[in-house]
Amino acid sequence: MNDGPLIVQSDKTLLLEVDHARAGECRKAIAPFAELERSPEHIHTYRLTPLGLWNARAAGHDAEQVVDTLLEYSRYPVPHSLLVDVAETMARYGRLRLEKNPVNGLVLASSDRAVLEEVIRAKKVAGMLGERVDEDTVVVHPSERGNLKQALLKLGWPAEDYAGYVDGEAHPIALDTADWSLRPYQSEAAESFWHGGSGVVVLPCGAGKTLVGAAAMAHAQATTLILVTNTVSARQWKDELVRRTSLTPDEIGEYSGSVKEIRPVTIATYQVLTTRRKGAYPHLELLDARDWGLVVYDEVHLLPAPIFRMTADLQARRRLGLTATLVREDGREGDVFSLIGPKRYDAPWKDIEAQGWIAPADCVEVRVTLPADERLVYATAEPDERYRIASCTHHKIDVVKEIVASHAGKPTLVIGQYLEQLDEIAASLDAPVIEGKTSVKERQRLFDAFRSGEIDLLVVSKVANFSIDLPSAEVAIQVSGAYGSRQEEAQRLGRLLRPGDGHKTAHFYTIVSRDTIDADFAQNRQRFLAEQGYAYRIVDADSLGDLTP
Amino acid sequence: MVNADVAAATRALSHLEDTGLVWHSLGGLRAVTGVAALLRGSPGTSGLQPFAADQEEAVRRLAAVSAEARAMLEAVDAGGGQASSSRARTRVTVDEAAGPAEELIAHGLLVSSEDGMLILPGEVGLALRGGRTTPAPVDVPPPLPTSSRASSLVDRAAAGAAFELVRNLELLLDAWSATPPRSLRGGTGLTVRDLKATAERLHVAEPTAALLIEVAWTSGLLALGTDEEGDPSWMPTELFDQWLQQPLAARWSHVAGAWLASPRLPGLVGQRDPAGKTWNALAPDLAGASAVETRRLTLGLLAEMPDGEVLAAGTGPAAVVARLAWERPRRPRTRTESRESLVAWTLTEAETLGLTAFGGLAAYGRALVAGEDPVPVLAGLLPEPVDHVLLQGDLTAVAPGPLEPALARTLAVVATVESHGGATVYRFTKESVRRAMDRGWTATEIHTFLAAASRTPVPQALTYLVDDTARTFGTIRVGFAAAYLRSDDEAALAELLAHPAAESLGLRRLAPTVVVSTVALDSLLPRLRELGLAPVVEAPDGSVHVARPDAKRAKARNAQRPAGAQEAHLTVRATAVAARIKAGDETAASRPSPPEPASTMAILHEAIDAGEQVVLSYVDGRGVAGEARVEPVGIDGGSLAARVEDDVRSFALSRIRSVRPGS
Repeated sequence: MNDGPLIVQSDKTLLLEVDHARAGECRKAIAPFAELERSPEHIHTYRLTPLGLWNARAAGHDAEQVVDTLLEYSRYPVPHSLLVDVAETMARYGRLRLEKNPVNGLVLASSDRAVLEEVIRAKKVAGMLGERVDEDTVVVHPSERGNLKQALLKLGWPAEDYAGYVDGEAHPIALDTADWSLRPYQSEAAESFWHGGSGVVVLPCGAGKTLVGAAAMAHAQATTLILVTNTVSARQWKDELVRRTSLTPDEIGEYSGSVKEIRPVTIATYQVLTTRRKGAYPHLELLDARDWGLVVYDEVHLLPAPIFRMTADLQARRRLGLTATLVREDGREGDVFSLIGPKRYDAPWKDIEAQGWIAPADCVEVRVTLPADERLVYATAEPDERYRIASCTHHKIDVVKEIVASHAGKPTLVIGQYLEQLDEIAASLDAPVIEGKTSVKERQRLFDAFRSGEIDLLVVSKVANFSIDLPSAEVAIQVSGAYGSRQEEAQRLGRLLRPGDGHKTAHFYTIVSRDTIDADFAQNRQRFLAEQGYAYRIVDADSLGDLTP
Repeated sequence: MVNADVAAATRALSHLEDTGLVWHSLGGLRAVTGVAALLRGSPGTSGLQPFAADQEEAVRRLAAVSAEARAMLEAVDAGGGQASSSRARTRVTVDEAAGPAEELIAHGLLVSSEDGMLILPGEVGLALRGGRTTPAPVDVPPPLPTSSRASSLVDRAAAGAAFELVRNLELLLDAWSATPPRSLRGGTGLTVRDLKATAERLHVAEPTAALLIEVAWTSGLLALGTDEEGDPSWMPTELFDQWLQQPLAARWSHVAGAWLASPRLPGLVGQRDPAGKTWNALAPDLAGASAVETRRLTLGLLAEMPDGEVLAAGTGPAAVVARLAWERPRRPRTRTESRESLVAWTLTEAETLGLTAFGGLAAYGRALVAGEDPVPVLAGLLPEPVDHVLLQGDLTAVAPGPLEPALARTLAVVATVESHGGATVYRFTKESVRRAMDRGWTATEIHTFLAAASRTPVPQALTYLVDDTARTFGTIRVGFAAAYLRSDDEAALAELLAHPAAESLGLRRLAPTVVVSTVALDSLLPRLRELGLAPVVEAPDGSVHVARPDAKRAKARNAQRPAGAQEAHLTVRATAVAARIKAGDETAASRPSPPEPASTMAILHEAIDAGEQVVLSYVDGRGVAGEARVEPVGIDGGSLAARVEDDVRSFALSRIRSVRPGS
């Protein structure tokens, strides 16, 4: 028995004891091939998945390294079958290669004839392949490069893509680092992306993913298409790029519902690209409007399905995915792997927090008891109404007031799902509210005012979830959410974790109604928080006063 | 003549002489009568029996035939010196001969026998092998290819498998004690469906599942019992409970030792027997005479390897087969268990069981094979049992090693197991906490238990969960009542309760104005009237229902019931059914194991000795259960001979379900 920090379970989870003396080195050693699943206070759980192992292969690790690492750090004997399985899974990556052949163009080549035979015979792949060049090579229709990779991944034989990229139209881009510099992990992330060709960079919210994108653009020195989730986020990308790079506002175009500019660097929203008119995507031509040298996908875990299909046709261009989490609520992680690329960089929240780049958070769940009359309404309501009734109890407004008062003077956000409730809260707090119908101009104005400290209380609906930098927010109060989505929780917490001045602690309150479906959903969200290593407390609304903020 | 070093041949001969199997006769050395007959069973090396003096003639003739014919002759020799003549004509001249077989016959190199076989005459065989009895030297054992692998690594990997084995057996038998799988009709095997389900449950491949089930049986942890419906089913034995109390290493040693000495062939499961029937796990005749010996020899070869050397992965198994063929040329004799598959099974099974890893025998495996106690060595490699868990904010508890059995069982009540292995991960949920409360735990007891079991502070969220569950636990109370009485006059109810004659009505006051009774309405009503009260009956909707007491009425069919009541009725019924099922499960779990087969045997032997009658309960060949009063005469080879009336009949022991003294 050796005294390692790692316990390898036969269900392919790895348990890492955090307080162990060798935990740090072990974490570094297993990070390339194991996905961090949860990181509560004492034991972190990692999982070995085929995708994770293939990510490791793509990053140049081999099975022997993985097995050695497991054996070296494992406290207990490692199940032999697991080691065999790791080796077999890893050996599957790269048996097939997509290559450029000077004569035949794009080909699928293999060093293992049996594997090639197997996939050629697979129904899913049949239409994508052309003539057999020789025993180990078969022609691939150039338009099927992406689809083929997807199909091969599903067959369990992920192909390595050596077919290279077009350079795209050159365009000079440089980082303007007169008054700032890239953080070490940001430049590392950009480097590993660039050397890997295409792929995904995973960084927590607030860790400065935009700058990783900018750094990647500076590597590419080419025209770039940036896909983002919404217009506000598009504007923020633009501001950030103008501020941090040599690009001028004239070189950056916005392609959204309201503006259709195509410039050397174009920022488009997912929504405009996926707009359908008469069964066709009228804005699809944007993808071919210029000879893009780099395509950046912001919040890749939210990439809508049509964009996946479009991405399948963009395989000859470098693709950078940015995200806080590879977990997709729809389970399409495999598509991200095969179409955007393997994970190229990853840093757990806690590590970056420990380095002081993002603020630590104090999470509190406040439970309110529904008053008897509302309880009765709730009890007899239709199931699809229940969540709204439970989360919109008037009691919550008093609690919000109390919390706001206890953090008076600190920049505070109240976040919710139901507009009625938000309006009511805004009215009773006398605070401005931002929701879907608020004009972009007005939003910008309010966000700017909040950022500059002019106002310190803002009520926002879920429009605020994504990619809006509110670096000065220190307190967030969540009154209702979208059915316990892990993603939403990450985003909302992310609002608070932007680096502020000095060492501030962020406060994250969730107000839930006890004994209702609201509390059940809240439990999912908490689980996510706890798994991310944020200890949370639960208090009753009545004893809120005892809480020392 | 023997293809061996002269010294070695001489040594072997003198050994045979010493053991008295060979003696000096006038004509030279001769084998003792009987030895030859014994050896003749299978085609051996030809060339010793009809010994022709004319060796040179044979050599000359051999030189005359074509290359194909010579190749064929070599094939016949390798095959034991006999071949089927098939379509070859047995009387041909050299000129007429077509094909190599006829060519050989024409040259007299193959001789046809009466039963249509072609025989390679001894002198031809000798000539073919260059004057030797075998083509390859027989005094040098075939070598075993090895590769190097640190023995510490082998030990660690094997111990991992050993730990897995013990854990998987525990999971398997725990699952089967709750829901024992039925045995196959008429036999004792396990259905393919149950095997598949087991493989799925344990997350192992089917052959591994079959091996686990077989070793559980071989080691006496599993036996055939009777489920609550009286059907023969597989369930853990009392030995299992004792086994659970032992330390890990001892548990492993018990199981591995049983496997080593068992003639069972789990490797056959899923394959077809010569008759085309698929072998089932636990089938009675899933055993082979050479299994034990092959296992011992194979592991013995591994044990002989120097430290740090293991059997080479690719060529190793084949070399083991060759080596065993050299050491035990005449075994095995049946076709279902070829030497190749026996060796292959041994190697994979030993690896699954944790005796070996990477083709090398672990240190404790070596001890086990040598008949020594493997426990001390293995115990040092296995994780130490831990007596604490780490509680975490995400409502999980991690036991960083195998938990002490008592703690593990308690924890499994309060939390749900999420991940198994060297460590165990438990998750606390509202449901799991409620489950503990259902079993009578109070919130305080749970808090105390958690604080004692955890090495880390109990997270606030967990404390809150327990308290919150306790808060709602039992908010709604459910009880049984056959009728209710309500009255706005509290005094009237009080009076009734105080009435001495009301005692037999099973009355209980729930609220000042409500009393329930355990007596059904039809009897309650007249009794209340007897007590001088004037009750009226309420309909389900609360309206007053007046019935003439002398007119008979049937209860209305439930067609008129309001939807809610119907639903509630169904729920109540479903709950009742579920409760009965659960009660059944619990009874089954607490039911003592069925009588050991040993006691059956004891009764039978006693009866034979005393010449007394017994009553046999048995299942006949068609799967029909029956009983018979018989007088046992003797037990032989798995069957019981017994006198039934004037007849002596034989009963397969495996079909006898129970025996009780007949007098």
